[in-house]
Amino acid sequence: MYKTIITNNHKVFQKYKDRYDVLFLQEGSYMDVLNETRNKVHRGYKVLTHPMAGSLKPNQTPYKSIIIGEGRGVTDYESINLIENSIEAAIKFLKYKSTPKWSEKILKDFETVDLSFIENVVRNPMFDNA
Amino acid sequence: MRLELGKIKINDVQFGEMTRVEKGILYVNKEEIVKLVLEDDRIISARVELARPGESVRIAPVKDVIEPRVKVSGSGQIFPGTINKVKEVGSGRTHALVGATVITCGRIVGFQEGLIDMSGPSAKYTPFSETNNVCVVIEPVEGLETHDYEAAGRMAGLKVATYIGEAGKNIEPDEVVVYETKPVQEQIRQYPDLPKIGYIHMLQSQGLLHDTYYYGVDAKVMVPTFMYPTEIMDGAIISGNCVAPCDKVTTFHHLNNPVIEDLYKRHGKDLNFIGVILTNENVFLADKERSSDMVAKLCEFLGLDGVLITEEGYGNPDTDLMMNCKKVSQKGVKVVLITDEFPGRDGKSQSLADAVEEGDALVSCGNGNVIIDFPPMEKVIGTLDFIETMIGGYEGSLKPDGSIEAELQIVIASTIANGYNKLAARGY
Repeated sequence: MYKTIITNNHKVFQKYKDRYDVLFLQEGSYMDVLNETRNKVHRGYKVLTHPMAGSLKPNQTPYKSIIIGEGRGVTDYESINLIENSIEAAIKFLKYKSTPKWSEKILKDFETVDLSFIENVVRNPMFDNA
Repeated sequence: MRLELGKIKINDVQFGEMTRVEKGILYVNKEEIVKLVLEDDRIISARVELARPGESVRIAPVKDVIEPRVKVSGSGQIFPGTINKVKEVGSGRTHALVGATVITCGRIVGFQEGLIDMSGPSAKYTPFSETNNVCVVIEPVEGLETHDYEAAGRMAGLKVATYIGEAGKNIEPDEVVVYETKPVQEQIRQYPDLPKIGYIHMLQSQGLLHDTYYYGVDAKVMVPTFMYPTEIMDGAIISGNCVAPCDKVTTFHHLNNPVIEDLYKRHGKDLNFIGVILTNENVFLADKERSSDMVAKLCEFLGLDGVLITEEGYGNPDTDLMMNCKKVSQKGVKVVLITDEFPGRDGKSQSLADAVEEGDALVSCGNGNVIIDFPPMEKVIGTLDFIETMIGGYEGSLKPDGSIEAELQIVIASTIANGYNKLAARGY
């Protein structure tokens, strides 16, 4: 399956840009990554990694990376459910507290943690066949 | 598998020339602990401080909490596959210094981590305000990579807890509790008329600062498996999870899993506790599919009538929780879920990020979004520098007088999703 990584995390972009199709939303927010994923899912893509990976809440970390796969033109309702639920949850958190303005050092830590989730998926022997 | 757990009650902790237990007091040799921690050249400094119940002390940021234990007899040693050689544990005799803990403190990443108040109104939200805590504050060498620092911090805590645990080896325990689970067919025959109940223990396994280890194996690369409940009491599972203080399952909580404890209390009375199924909470959806299939298969194979399921974390794990719930229910097994909730500060939003029709019985361990006030404390172990960047903290959380306003989720284990807290509804 042809895979795309949607991310606003520079570290993920740098690491995978030569190996996978990476849609890098350079100035994009956490919500932008979710919304872009939703758009793709409604066009027939499947979500391959959980959109809410990590225990960091949507109003804590500014970074998000999601891997999707090109479907066979058939709408994947599980993917729609997953991304819609994730968007609903993210709105809930962001509604009462927006993501803080973090220092550069903390931003780098958030990038590292987000990258780790993707690294662990990509190194999975099943991943390239998914 | 049969384990005798000897509980040595610790009522106080003090520094002493020799690490030992005498008349319910744990004495620790500060220099030996520091030396042990500094054996790891990734750590440049270590400081040992004590925190006792009722003191005006705030501990932050906290990485892990560990109860000191030691194997007295039986196969293997404490923390197999991490501190000691890989060898099956869970049988024979183990001594625990109940009422004492080792707490590792130190900032691994900028947004770390939870806090513990030893007194005041916020103390009631964490069980560690009631324990005598040996706090090890660690500092990494300059420029240490985050993964290495996490591993160094994790190992430091386990090493110190193992060292202190040795002090209980030749002490006569105040109480000995016997836990026993027989091989499945024998276990079913023992209480043939009681419902066969299992426990599905979901381990955090997403990546950096979100990991758990079973006999040294990273939970994200294991497939669901069966565990005798007593194995966990000897440290077969250790925590590498540092994120979301309120509901992270520390190594202490693995050693003292309340679901296992309560199932044993009712074992042979109104249920037949068959054992534990371990599974993971991976990010890759294909892993979730495989793991939940296998969990359901194990439930069917064991002939279970009902299961309790606990999760660790919010969001991604909610999907595993629901997939397990659905597939296990479809095998005809009754399911009760145990988790905490994030329904917003007013409690009106969805509590979990996922839901299935089969999820119709759930025990709540509290709402992590509630705002609470923390009065100033006279002493801080660690630092308050990062309060506003901790999970649950926000801009303006830390007041000039040292008091704090923050969400309950900033407190270690305040809404822990296995019920080792005080926010669950209880029947008396």
